Amino acid sequence: MTPDGRIKLVSELLDLPLIDSEGKYCGIVDDVELAGTRDLKLKALLVGPGAYAGRLPRWAMWLVKRIAGDRVTRVAIDRIRTITDGVHLECPGRDLGLHRVETAAGRWIPRKGAM
Amino acid sequence: LNPLELTLGIMTAVGGFVDISELVFAAKAGSTFGYALIWVFAVGTVGIIVFSEMSGRVAAVAKQPVFNLMRHRLGLKLGLLTLVASVISTLITCAAEVGGVALILNYLTGWPYALMAVLMTAVLIASIWVLPFEWIERTYGLLGLFMLVFAAALIAIDAPWGKIAAAFVPQVPSGLSTKELLSFGYFSVAILSAVLFPYEVYFYSSGGIEEGWGPKDMLKNRVTSIVGMGLGSMLAIAILANSAQLFGPVNVDPELPGTAALQAAIPFGRWGLILALLGMFFAVAGAAVETCMANAYSIAQFFGWMWGRHKKPWEAPRFTITWIALFLIALLIVLTGVDVMMLVELAILFSILVLPLTYLPLLLLSGDRKYMREHVNGPLAKTLGWLYFAIITAAAIAALPLFFLTSGGNG
Repeated sequence: MTPDGRIKLVSELLDLPLIDSEGKYCGIVDDVELAGTRDLKLKALLVGPGAYAGRLPRWAMWLVKRIAGDRVTRVAIDRIRTITDGVHLECPGRDLGLHRVETAAGRWIPRKGAM
Repeated sequence: LNPLELTLGIMTAVGGFVDISELVFAAKAGSTFGYALIWVFAVGTVGIIVFSEMSGRVAAVAKQPVFNLMRHRLGLKLGLLTLVASVISTLITCAAEVGGVALILNYLTGWPYALMAVLMTAVLIASIWVLPFEWIERTYGLLGLFMLVFAAALIAIDAPWGKIAAAFVPQVPSGLSTKELLSFGYFSVAILSAVLFPYEVYFYSSGGIEEGWGPKDMLKNRVTSIVGMGLGSMLAIAILANSAQLFGPVNVDPELPGTAALQAAIPFGRWGLILALLGMFFAVAGAAVETCMANAYSIAQFFGWMWGRHKKPWEAPRFTITWIALFLIALLIVLTGVDVMMLVELAILFSILVLPLTYLPLLLLSGDRKYMREHVNGPLAKTLGWLYFAIITAAAIAALPLFFLTSGGNG
């Protein structure tokens, strides 16, 4: 693979949906963590608006923080089973803390009345 | 392809086509310029058909929400800018719809406008909470079919069909003063904006994902957008033509949304008036639901939250909190006492300004073979898509100067 090909691989990972081992949607890839200096390797995926910090100007980050918070969850590369049209994890998202904010928000929602 | 399901889909699209802005501008356009602006509605309708079909195709093939794909295609910065612009314009539109529905309820019952706004917001929130997606879409869409009374009124008043047919050809009326020409220009831009509101496309494509569309639904998507929106637009054109026939000659300016309902009262009396008000009520309430949900879809899809009303409200909690909060903000805007017509004007203006930004990513996505494979834009979709992008960009550039030069179309 050419160096250009590697860069493309990383850019194509961004914004892919994450699906856990139970088939549950866990968010999207917001950034990646790379290891090494010359021979870069993918180390982890970063999920959550906190990961935008390196990709957005400060004013935009201020806005994002007010709407969506600034939490970031790290998904190590060894927790990924396959990458196709989405990133499929080999474990439940809750084990990685991927559903924490959604679960916390869920406490405010009454569980009745909906068809 | 299930014929019953297809018919229901088309009828839903017809009943859900008209919103408060189209209602207001169709009636005003008819009374001010006769039939001369019918062609602008026709041009706008082809545009919304083109973009809706594209967005439905993207949802069915890529199976990913349009706003997530937009973020990937545009990058985070431009994606966020698109999100902010579209949320602001759609929120103003939502407030205009909530105000509009409260006003119609005020006409129907005589109860105070502010109380009706609060009551209706509660009813709209409850309906989204209780009903699953398909029911929400169909309930408001099908009940909006009461609007057909406007088409029946046009037949009953013995409209000049030759003149109406001729008005589908692009034209500018002769003998207008400079002031009137500018006003004609402003109405043209406003009608384009009202017909091409970006929320319609976000709601339509997210709805496709809610209903689990796949490549097998390509025909359904095409037929629903072409036939449903095409026939829906005929209702708006009927309001314009009724207005040209009934209001223009006697110098009635339909300044209030309720004035349009008189078009059905003239040929059909009391029951015509009630049916027209009911049609307007459900059509505008449906638009309020669509605007609010379109905004919640966009925000949730951009940030990668669970979303959709095919899930129970507690299964997508951040999405649920978002659409409830958006409805409450829209209500607060209405309760400040700002005039509904002012909200309609602002919704039109903001929407046209952000239209190019919201439709460009869709055009790029649907033309990208990597996402769309064999369902990528064909020559017709590509040509029409770029042509309409040029039209909405020109309209966006002209919108602000025309708004100020004509004091919002008031001369």
